[in-house]
Amino acid sequence: MTDIETRILAGLNESQREAVTAIDGPLMVIAGPGTGKTLTIVRRIAYLVHRGAHPGSILAVTFTNRAAQEMRGRTGAFLGKAAGGVFIGTFHMLGLAIIRDNKPGDLTVCTREEQVKLLKTVLDDPGRKAEEAADSMSRFKNLLEDGNEKMRALYDRYQAALRSKDLLDLDDLILTPMEMLSDHALLQRYRDRFRHIIVDEYQDINPAQYRFLRLLAGDGGNICVVGDADQAIYAFRGADVTNFLNFEKDLPGARRITLSHNYRSTAVIVNASDAIIEKNAQRIERTLSPVKKGGVPITIASVPDERAEGEFIVSEIEARIGGTSHYRLMNARSGDLGPDATFAFSDFTVIFRTNAQAEALGEVFRTSGIPYQIIGGRYQGKRKDIAEIADRIREYAAGDGVTTLTGTARSHSCIMEVLEGLAAGGKDPFYLSLYDLMRFHIAEGNIRTIDDCLNMLSLLTPLDDFDALADCVTLTTLHGAKGLEFRVVFITGAEDGLIPYSLRDGQDDREEERRLFYVGMTRAKEELFLLHARSRALYGRNTAPLLSSFVRDIPEVFTRTVALKDRARKRHKKQMKLF
Amino acid sequence: MVPEALWKWAQIKGVTVVGTGDFTHPAWLKELSEKTEPAGDGLLKLKKEFEANDVPSSCSANVFFMLSSEISTIYRKNGKTRKVHSIIFVPRVADALHLNLALSKIGNLNADGRPILGLDAKELLRIVLDVCPGALFVPAHAWTPHFSVFGAVSGFDSLEECFEDLTPHINAIETGLSSDPSMNWRLSALDRLTLISNSDAHSPAKMGREANILDTDISFEAITHAVSTGQGFLGTIEFFPEEGKYHYDGHRACGVNLTPDETIRQGYLCPVCGRKVTVGVLHRVNRLADRACGFRPDGAKPFYSLIPLPEVLAETLGTGGASKRVDAEYRRLIHQLGNELRILMDAPLNDIERAGSPLIREAISRIRKGEVHIVPGFDGEYGKIKIFETRERKQLKGQATLF
Repeated sequence: MTDIETRILAGLNESQREAVTAIDGPLMVIAGPGTGKTLTIVRRIAYLVHRGAHPGSILAVTFTNRAAQEMRGRTGAFLGKAAGGVFIGTFHMLGLAIIRDNKPGDLTVCTREEQVKLLKTVLDDPGRKAEEAADSMSRFKNLLEDGNEKMRALYDRYQAALRSKDLLDLDDLILTPMEMLSDHALLQRYRDRFRHIIVDEYQDINPAQYRFLRLLAGDGGNICVVGDADQAIYAFRGADVTNFLNFEKDLPGARRITLSHNYRSTAVIVNASDAIIEKNAQRIERTLSPVKKGGVPITIASVPDERAEGEFIVSEIEARIGGTSHYRLMNARSGDLGPDATFAFSDFTVIFRTNAQAEALGEVFRTSGIPYQIIGGRYQGKRKDIAEIADRIREYAAGDGVTTLTGTARSHSCIMEVLEGLAAGGKDPFYLSLYDLMRFHIAEGNIRTIDDCLNMLSLLTPLDDFDALADCVTLTTLHGAKGLEFRVVFITGAEDGLIPYSLRDGQDDREEERRLFYVGMTRAKEELFLLHARSRALYGRNTAPLLSSFVRDIPEVFTRTVALKDRARKRHKKQMKLF
Repeated sequence: MVPEALWKWAQIKGVTVVGTGDFTHPAWLKELSEKTEPAGDGLLKLKKEFEANDVPSSCSANVFFMLSSEISTIYRKNGKTRKVHSIIFVPRVADALHLNLALSKIGNLNADGRPILGLDAKELLRIVLDVCPGALFVPAHAWTPHFSVFGAVSGFDSLEECFEDLTPHINAIETGLSSDPSMNWRLSALDRLTLISNSDAHSPAKMGREANILDTDISFEAITHAVSTGQGFLGTIEFFPEEGKYHYDGHRACGVNLTPDETIRQGYLCPVCGRKVTVGVLHRVNRLADRACGFRPDGAKPFYSLIPLPEVLAETLGTGGASKRVDAEYRRLIHQLGNELRILMDAPLNDIERAGSPLIREAISRIRKGEVHIVPGFDGEYGKIKIFETRERKQLKGQATLF
């Protein structure tokens, strides 16, 4: 083995090593939680390059921009300059790149708001119909619905309206390149270019993305899909676990390698979460052996209500940080941890099933002063902001005559002036972060024109809100927690109705809900808390939920139970009687 | 707390330039910007319409505000949880706003006047320097165990370990209540720094327990220049360090108060319950010091250890510090002799005796000479001061009535 090879394979276990070196023919890597998935992909890229693959021939598709960024960073750290040629990005970024390479002229990816606005004109209806139409267009484009005649007619008119304005919607970033690739010569060119394809989080891709991928990979190409059927959590977005299960059927001769060592969590957490996911019927059998032995028991905490839930979490965090102020120090239950404490705020996460739970939790954190961030929570608000910012930049550019977008420097100053104006005048730190983000992208050469900037804005996904630099407690939905890990995890609302979620009609996919809970549990490295409020106000109703049936499935050997008493009611003083 | 109260008490205490505190809190900053106006030269003054007329004429003086705020950073560095408090001074409301905007990305500024940020103290310094290059950044109460740069529990062994390449931007540290300059003189690493003393005042009547004495122009630049270079910085007014909450070691829950030597003999464990004791400031200084007790470096600034006048009066009257008699006596003395710092430091003893009593004269005389008995504070418990033994007081009182 050469030195370089030794370095590439260093520290890998047997199955990881296999997954890195199996570079001929289709490959499916089953990567359970904490099995070193990203590490394996990064080393595989390095191995491919080492074995003579041109970096530009490698395509690595990730699920979020955040994941792409991490992978790019780690690949860069390992490969150095050679990593620059590797395409690492989301499906949408890949689609955009293909469109840009082949369609000269301007195009802009529109936001959801712009999409709805457009549909309002198409439908000639200012009401809420446009929202529904946008949803159904999205389902249609993602191949989730065949669509009736009426829908197809709307589709034609909608597409025409988009084209007339040189606009694409997000779904077009998959659809349009697929149309382009019906040109055989062009398809061949891309197949020749991307000889090595790696797909991360494969369990969550939707039918349109699947077709796009198959198109690019051709038959029996060097395609490697990495994922875990037990962590498929996007059925509502059209991601389908059967895609994953059918990989071997679609690509005969595909190899399957299972990464079987969990490096993240204690044995208690691995075994307890396994006991739950094993109850699912639709899965690929696999075993996961924990590398870390033992571990503290999982705490099942029963609290009176959602406020007590938040306060319990805050006090557990403070007990580990060792008090955040003199006042709290003096009142701490467990006193100070002393000089051996090693925790930071970013070691903690609070995970919930629905965004509706974020408010009460956020309130407790706000008053505690503990720094926290809610990821994915303010999606709607931010999306609206982004639409407004896009509008402003467009107007500004038009007024300045920069729309033709030739001068890079002028485009830059135009973008920065608009964002700077917003950042300076606005009280919202969001504008400032956005300003910094764009400045970063300009410095990195990712934004050359106004359109690049607008497209970048449209591609911001809610899961990208996460700011890795800010050390704070992360509050997130179970969906948003995917791909993250923390030393201490609190899952709130571990109650029937929320986990599994069954409060709204037509949403009771027990297996998907179980996978979601499994994803939440397996985020924990050291400690896991499952919280159950005996009374909860949700969607304007007061409920008295029972402990989640999923939690009851955890074998008792892995758990300990804590119950907080109901809040003391004001007692009516009994009148003292003389006799 | 309102700016008017700061203005009033600064005069009663004898403080010319008072830190506003809490400028990171949006509501407080708003109130400050409404009730004060720039005095020119980077300080603020109360708008005329908010000046009340309840300040004794004997104390009446100009008061200036300096925008200041304390920030708590809690983070992990080199495998340990670190908790460091820092004070930031900026010249203009605009700078404060700008800094708040930058910090609001990182933490929640609304919860507390002293916000908690999950940020490396060094990064906080970098942000402050970026946003406002003229700002003054000072590690707060540098020795308290839990929340300071040298703290025994979650601090560092040197400024360099904390601030790395930005250490040269640290030109002063705050000694805090539990340490005084003479303790800090034992570390040669601190020789280049100005040792400053401030007292955060959760109630305005506690203002000025510690203070800095400067002979400079009254401007932000002149003051920060004096603090950064020592030029024009004449010295500090201090608590007796023993009176501070963390001078000795111990375990408050068990009432165990230990000297550093006793702590070592006990193996750092509470002799009552066996839990770890809280290591105090004196112990920590001993640990990091490279010089013997009593060393005085060249050019060290003098300092004056004082006891707040209400506490002095409480002892001479034999009552609690918050009693009505203390309050009445305090007012009387202030009216006759001028502001509190003047009474404690400069007023002729004969005048004090005339306005007060022979016992008060004796008490202040003893404080000026440093002749007081103090049971040192430990693990969050303030030290207990005694200027007189009970017998002594009776004796002195008796003398007083003879003549």
